[in-house]
Amino acid sequence: MKFFSKIKYPLLKLIDVSGFKVFDPVIRLLYNEEPQKQVRDIVKYMVLPIIFCFICIWAWNFLGPRHKTKSGEVPTPIEVWNVANDNYRFSEREEEKKTAFSLDGDKRKEEILFVKSEIVKLEEKASFLQQESMRVTEEVKVETDAKLAPVNARKDALKAEIKQAKAEREAEAIAHAEKLMAGQVTPDSLVALIKKHKEAVDEEKAKSKLIGDELNEIRDNPPKRLKEAQLAANKMEDEVLHYKKRIDYLTKGNKEQKIAGLIEKSDTAIAALAAATTPAEAVKQAKAVVSSSEAAESTAEQKYPPAATIFYQTKRSVATVFVGFLIAAFVAIPIGIMCGLNRVVMACLTPIISIFRPVSPVVWLLIFQIVIGAFFPDPETHPLFMFMNSPSNPLAFLRTDPAMIFSACTVAMCALWPALVNTALGVSAIDKDHLNVAKVLRLGFWSRLFKIIIPSSLPLMFAGLRISLGVGWMVLIAAEALSTSDGLGKFVWDEFQNGSSASFANIILACFVVGIIGFVLDRLMIILQRLVSFDDGSAVA
Amino acid sequence: MSFLEIDNVNVGFGPPTSRTEVLENINLSVEENEFVAIIGFSGSGKSTLMNLLAGLQPPDVGEVRLNGEVKTIPGPDRGIMFQNYSLLPWLSVFENIELAVKSVFPKMSKSEREEHIMNYINMVKLTPARDRKPHELSGGMRQRASLARTLSLKPEVLLLDEPLSALDALTRSDLQDEILKIWGGDKRTVVMITNDVDEAVLMADRIVPLTMGPGATLAKEFTVNMERPRDRHTLNDHPEFMRLKSEITTFMLDINKESKAKNPADVVPMPDVQPKDFTPPSATLKFSHLGNKSITPVNETSQ
Repeated sequence: MKFFSKIKYPLLKLIDVSGFKVFDPVIRLLYNEEPQKQVRDIVKYMVLPIIFCFICIWAWNFLGPRHKTKSGEVPTPIEVWNVANDNYRFSEREEEKKTAFSLDGDKRKEEILFVKSEIVKLEEKASFLQQESMRVTEEVKVETDAKLAPVNARKDALKAEIKQAKAEREAEAIAHAEKLMAGQVTPDSLVALIKKHKEAVDEEKAKSKLIGDELNEIRDNPPKRLKEAQLAANKMEDEVLHYKKRIDYLTKGNKEQKIAGLIEKSDTAIAALAAATTPAEAVKQAKAVVSSSEAAESTAEQKYPPAATIFYQTKRSVATVFVGFLIAAFVAIPIGIMCGLNRVVMACLTPIISIFRPVSPVVWLLIFQIVIGAFFPDPETHPLFMFMNSPSNPLAFLRTDPAMIFSACTVAMCALWPALVNTALGVSAIDKDHLNVAKVLRLGFWSRLFKIIIPSSLPLMFAGLRISLGVGWMVLIAAEALSTSDGLGKFVWDEFQNGSSASFANIILACFVVGIIGFVLDRLMIILQRLVSFDDGSAVA
Repeated sequence: MSFLEIDNVNVGFGPPTSRTEVLENINLSVEENEFVAIIGFSGSGKSTLMNLLAGLQPPDVGEVRLNGEVKTIPGPDRGIMFQNYSLLPWLSVFENIELAVKSVFPKMSKSEREEHIMNYINMVKLTPARDRKPHELSGGMRQRASLARTLSLKPEVLLLDEPLSALDALTRSDLQDEILKIWGGDKRTVVMITNDVDEAVLMADRIVPLTMGPGATLAKEFTVNMERPRDRHTLNDHPEFMRLKSEITTFMLDINKESKAKNPADVVPMPDVQPKDFTPPSATLKFSHLGNKSITPVNETSQ
């Protein structure tokens, strides 16, 4: 209990520093401090915003399906949620395949038995769902037919009617023409009659089109349960396929199995070599020994090649943005300090800053692809990529490639400016009294820099870095989409290009992932900024 | 030759054609272990004079000598205590002093340094606040910390630039006593700038008035012949205190008057404005329901 009351203020301070001041009344309520006021605050600043969010989601759910686009309806929140689950399952499957690939010994055998038993269960389920889907299809067919029947009958009736009307009109026209021949009527009246008939035909056409539309409407909009049943059956089918694939990876695709096979091959070749009778036979067997043992070695180094899941894309985007951000910080802070210290440097750099700051990231990306691309004429054998992607490197999962470097450089180029300008401002706005202190103490250049100038400009510097990181994250997604560097940007771009039934929902999912990560990055920077501020953090918005 | 000397110094600004002298013909000599107060109106160039002594601003003409040596750049031998504390806000009290001690006595060992710093923190009674940051301290505590930092440099001359003018009256008198006590225990040459006659008479051995700028210069000095320690409670009954106080005050006011007379342009002529009459002409009618008291506009011209 004592501990409980002791941590109250540290806790409040913590949520304040981390920028989650919304939870302040909740904590105070837990400590029973002015409960009425806290409840009021919770309602005002937590409950109302949550209700507002729900209203927005409801509006989305309501309006989405009503907007028909070429790539389907706008997905509802539930569809996006389902797609998120599918993405999660996809990454789980990759993990399962990966473990299956590298399992060996008794564990492998156990796993095979387990997966086989699972397959039996899943196949049962799958066939049930398949039957169910067929049943639903039948049902729906019957239903649709029932709905179509009256309309079809109407259509046939209309057809007959039209046919009869046509014959009648033709007879009338002929009769009128005969009268004309006899000179009983004028030619104009015949033309008028034909015109009237034409109008009647148009009317009939419109009527039959209306009925056709009605039929199409019924055919094109099967009840939802049909689609759901088919989807469920397909999903289960997919799952069964995945388990079969797992068996593959556990048996002939398994790493140890492959190696064992190759060693066996080389052993037989050795035996054959010993028993060889002709020189040509001996050479052939010796070659076989070398090739199979080499293959065994390279297999031993192999790793499971995972597919690009959304988790991988996210990790790669975050890594890229950090590389770019670090480059930006390492360039911007020293230059910013120099600008702040020396007005000549500032004057020299002002034109460069003013001209290059507004340039679009897309332009930078293209320039970097050309300029930096020249450093990696052959990325496969470049030492940087060999080092980054060697199996022993813990960062090998990022699959570093030139496109990642271009994206990181683009991020750096665009994130540079806010950090640079803010650092220069922070350094040049240093309190004159602090500099006087340094003068009286006769501090040298370096200790003046590290003891007085940098600490006093840290808050503004971090404010700049925070803006930089935000800009970098926004730029990165665009750069990845354009440079097809793996990452969330590419995820979005690929989904846009392949146009499956789930792609629209996937794009919206990516939108949320990007937003949430951007939010987390910003919070991290706010915390850092507050930690370096010496004036109670009141200067931080 | 005195300990600290200002010799015929001029300080000004602007191009040679239209130069404005801030200080002109400044001559001051301070003996060792003497407490000198320089008193002047705001804007008369007091801070410029202090910057000159500290070496933060070089003189245009003349020179500043300490122990016979010409001083042009600042250094720890002239410890200056700034009006607005100038503590580094990202360092605690201890670290602020440590930074100063480290750069002035680089050869001191760690334990020695810590002892040295704590000695001065104790002296200004800030021991409980040694690890506080400046923004967590009150104004008086900040000025104490600043004093401790300045003293820890072991300066030959202590320069106090209106050290107490930003404090409230109670804290101020408290710190005055504190400074006097420290000075009494550890005699040192002090030059203090102030705008408070009481403070000057209470603390100093000698009071030098600074005339009004531009072209301010030091006027005839007053020697304070009062035995120490001086007790602020009985001081008001001390005839010498009363005499000095009234003499200096009269002198300062005269200076002010003189300077105004010298620079009539400084007196901004007031525009010739007559009060306007905004009372509605029908006021008498409108307010008639109040009774028989008729309200008539007060208009000087009509009377």
